[in-house]
Amino acid sequence: MKRFTHVHAGSVDEAAQLLAQYEGKARLNAGGTDLLGVLKDRILPAYPEAIINIKTIPGLSTIVEDKEGLTIGALTTLAELIHSPLIKDFCPLLKEAAITVASPQIRNMATIGGNLCQDTRCWYYRYPDQIGGAIQCFRKGGGTCPAVSGENQYNAVTGAKRCYAVCPSDTAIALTALGAALTVTGTKGTRQLPVEEFYTPLGNILAPDEMVTAIHIEKPGPTATQRFLKFTIRKPIDFAVVSAAAMITLEQGVCTDARIVLGAVAPTPVRELRVEEFLKGKELTEEVAAEAAGLALQGARPLSKNSYKLEIARTLVKRMIMGHACGCQGNCHG
Amino acid sequence: MTEYRFIGKATPRKDALDIVTGKTKFINDLSIPNMLYGKALRSPLPHALIKSIDTSEALALKGVKAVLTYENVPDWLGGLPLHVRILDRKLRYVGAAVALVAAETEEIAAEALRHIKVEYESLPAVYDSEEAIEPDAPQLYEQFPGNVYPLEIQAFGPKSLREIAIGDVDKGFAEADFIVEGTYTYENIPNPLPPEPPGAIAAWEGKDTLTVWSASQGPHMVKVSLQKRMGSINLQSLGSPVGASYGTKYMSWQYVLPAAALAQAAGRPVKYYYENPEHLAAFSLRLGSRIHGKVGMKKNGDVTALSGDWFVNTGASSETAQAMVSVGCGEAQLMLRCPNWSLKPKVVCTNRTASGQVRGFGGQELKCALIPLLTLGMEKADIDPVEFFKKNYVKPGEGYYWRDGFWWESRGIDYTGAIEKGAAVFGWQEKWQGWLKPSSVNGVKRRGVGVGVHGNADVGEDVSEAYVRLDPNGTATIYSGLAEHGTGQRSSICKMVAEVLQLPLERVFVTPTDSRINPFEYGPVGSRGTYAIGSAVIAAAEDAKRQLFEKMAPKFKAAPEVLETEDGMVWVKGQPGTRLPWMKGMRYDSTIMGHGRFEPDFTLPNFMMIFTEVEVDTETGKVDLVRVVGATDVGQVIDPLYLTNQLNGCLGSAGIDSAIFEETVFDTRLGRIMNANMIDYKWRTFAELPEMEHAILETPIPSHRFQAIGVGEIAPSPGPSAVLMAVSNAIGTRIHKYPLTPDKVLAALGKITKQERRGN
Repeated sequence: MKRFTHVHAGSVDEAAQLLAQYEGKARLNAGGTDLLGVLKDRILPAYPEAIINIKTIPGLSTIVEDKEGLTIGALTTLAELIHSPLIKDFCPLLKEAAITVASPQIRNMATIGGNLCQDTRCWYYRYPDQIGGAIQCFRKGGGTCPAVSGENQYNAVTGAKRCYAVCPSDTAIALTALGAALTVTGTKGTRQLPVEEFYTPLGNILAPDEMVTAIHIEKPGPTATQRFLKFTIRKPIDFAVVSAAAMITLEQGVCTDARIVLGAVAPTPVRELRVEEFLKGKELTEEVAAEAAGLALQGARPLSKNSYKLEIARTLVKRMIMGHACGCQGNCHG
Repeated sequence: MTEYRFIGKATPRKDALDIVTGKTKFINDLSIPNMLYGKALRSPLPHALIKSIDTSEALALKGVKAVLTYENVPDWLGGLPLHVRILDRKLRYVGAAVALVAAETEEIAAEALRHIKVEYESLPAVYDSEEAIEPDAPQLYEQFPGNVYPLEIQAFGPKSLREIAIGDVDKGFAEADFIVEGTYTYENIPNPLPPEPPGAIAAWEGKDTLTVWSASQGPHMVKVSLQKRMGSINLQSLGSPVGASYGTKYMSWQYVLPAAALAQAAGRPVKYYYENPEHLAAFSLRLGSRIHGKVGMKKNGDVTALSGDWFVNTGASSETAQAMVSVGCGEAQLMLRCPNWSLKPKVVCTNRTASGQVRGFGGQELKCALIPLLTLGMEKADIDPVEFFKKNYVKPGEGYYWRDGFWWESRGIDYTGAIEKGAAVFGWQEKWQGWLKPSSVNGVKRRGVGVGVHGNADVGEDVSEAYVRLDPNGTATIYSGLAEHGTGQRSSICKMVAEVLQLPLERVFVTPTDSRINPFEYGPVGSRGTYAIGSAVIAAAEDAKRQLFEKMAPKFKAAPEVLETEDGMVWVKGQPGTRLPWMKGMRYDSTIMGHGRFEPDFTLPNFMMIFTEVEVDTETGKVDLVRVVGATDVGQVIDPLYLTNQLNGCLGSAGIDSAIFEETVFDTRLGRIMNANMIDYKWRTFAELPEMEHAILETPIPSHRFQAIGVGEIAPSPGPSAVLMAVSNAIGTRIHKYPLTPDKVLAALGKITKQERRGN
């Protein structure tokens, strides 16, 4: 690993100041589980001059409940989320998503903020510099996306234009289904926005001097149920081939509200609005679930090697809906 | 059955405590005074010529002690035949070494690589074995026109086996009731991926003596194979605990020669150790294997003829491909009783990372393509594959051409018992529903079963030597060049010697693997640990015991033949009152050195059958390995835990999982390996193990004193084709492209519609 300056930030403001001072040539480090690999393999065109340690910022690893809901500090580790009774009670969906991330060792280090802001896993983007040089793909300022006609089995099937990398964050999918919002702070102040609006085709909306400081989740209604399913090649460790999250409200067996989100199919989490609309006012029977699943990823344009992801995505949507119907967390359906 | 004191009993491995407490020093834990660190600059292009290379800036960096390019590197060669330079002007794969640097720290070495300026002339590349032999294909080596290697292997003798040519296939096909044919492949080139990457430390003393520390699977062969080609120097090879190898770290030139060249250029010791991405993308992979084959069969399942062209893709160079082809051809005959053969191999080089030695050594690569072809015929004849393999596997008295090109006959045992025991343990009778029929269906999940077979007559290949030294204090020391590469074999030979000499296990030691101390040892390859290495060690112990009794006899005024020993005491048989310690005969001032040597013997095939049960989710295409049963007959168990461990190791490291998710993903436009990391290279974790059980028989086999043969490297080899069969049965349609990832399974199920496909 190349040498760099390492700075401890004592506050969010100081971290933002440092980010501004280094003009995009500094990177924040929380758990380090993603960043260290990025640095070791030297996948980025420019090596950061400074690493700003934000673990030294006090007060960012708490989970606080108020009247509206929960506020989760960005430095809360995935392990802390998983073991939090508040999370278990209000948003089991987030717990289910967090528990699928990587391995216990990594979840002990990795933070929710870092999980949301992690870089894509596209293997063209991640190609290690040691083996003939990193690949200057479109996302890194190169001319083209090599995945389009290459080994694109894990790439986007929808929503991508010039870069076909997918959003790798499992918690982003869960938080989008929960309708969560983020607090983002920079040198010019603080703003809030829905998680859904955080991601862009080439990453996220953070300005070079900004960082995510907190996640806000409104308390779901008392009859809302939540599900998260993740399809991977291996059971542990893997990033999603496709993930799916749902929050569905049932009144006397009839769906009154639904938020259905797919992950790892696009550069951003994908709300399945058509599926949501279709489900409203219906009893969640096997037929309804199957028909709803067929509406997912309508208009998707898979690449040469990833149309199988459509089949898996629709299967997950169906299983989530059926899981809601029988209350089995989707287990009896897969 | 003989009851032994140590043999067949579970005893802790001698190195266990050090390994689990972190005390064991692996190569990368070693540092020797004044040592530098070596690194390689690697080619960005799959096929290119270096037009110019400027190292001046790198050399000017503080801490850089040597930079080597094709212009100033010693002309030491690797490969089969010797043809691969350490650094060449021509680059034949992405990741090929362009330059080498030695520096005071790893960081400086890595930085220096970035200051080497290279201008490349890009050449067209070829990746497919059949495209590579087209007349207009890019040519990798001048000396191998058409990209085809000669099949001769000097080390196997003048008649070395280059094909299977037996009988008359035309006649055989004419006699057949039906003929099946097709193209079958095993080309996902998995990486055996031992946890410890390859690496070595090299240090010169003067011009002629080179000391090498390496984690080679065969440390003595580092000396024997390399010193001559480095100008008849004296190479002193020091082994180390091997962080696993799976065959891949047996060949050592890829990491030893660069270390030695840098050490020579810098005048200081150099450590050259692969980083993980390098290990994944620029070190030995499995061979690619493709057969266009044809099988003639009788209605009763008897095979009358087998013909085929076997395309073996060895990547950028042959490290040992012809030898693997030779052994693979031998092993195919062990599996199949067929009077008429014509299997013609072709070893072809292409512009990807080289293939090399991997457990299963050619036989696994061949069978993974050949067995699916045979199953076409079994299906047509409606024959249970277990019955087919039972009937066909080589029986005592039956013969085969082995790697030396000579006809050998098995004087071993009949493995029918192991097959039947395995089938019973697995519950094959209940689960087998016929070809392309699931064993059970539960909603969208369908289960299927499959079986594969493999065996190897290499357990007696090549030479081993050992000494056993007795000291008067009642201890024995084994002098052996055997490396501990994870199987527990170094502990096993202690058990054998302890049993011969009747010494407590803790009074038996093994020397460090150091070629300055130990006699010749070919190494634990070809599953030869139990038989070949064991035989040499046992012979040395018996020789030592004989000498001990000769020395002690005068004290008893008795013939040496009537003496017995146990726990460092000697007495006259039947007269326990005569007991004397070794010291009384040997005095304090003598040692006894027993010598043992094993000569090659190809008459004892070993055996492995694997039964698998899979569950397929027909909506997602996910294949789960539910249950694995291994069946073997080892003659005599040396240690039940070491054996079970070996059998349990059948999943990963280019084994069974190469049918499920292990693969090297290769982009043919860039010539790059895309999954050179442990997230994208799908390696099973301990959190996802299937149910495993093994059927182990112990039918005495005429090998050595303990009538054991072991199992060794073949533990995973029958697995991949068994998984293919199981998944095909589960989903009711044939699927035969490894690995069976969800995209392939969904496609086989017809669930990926044409409209949704874009591009190629």
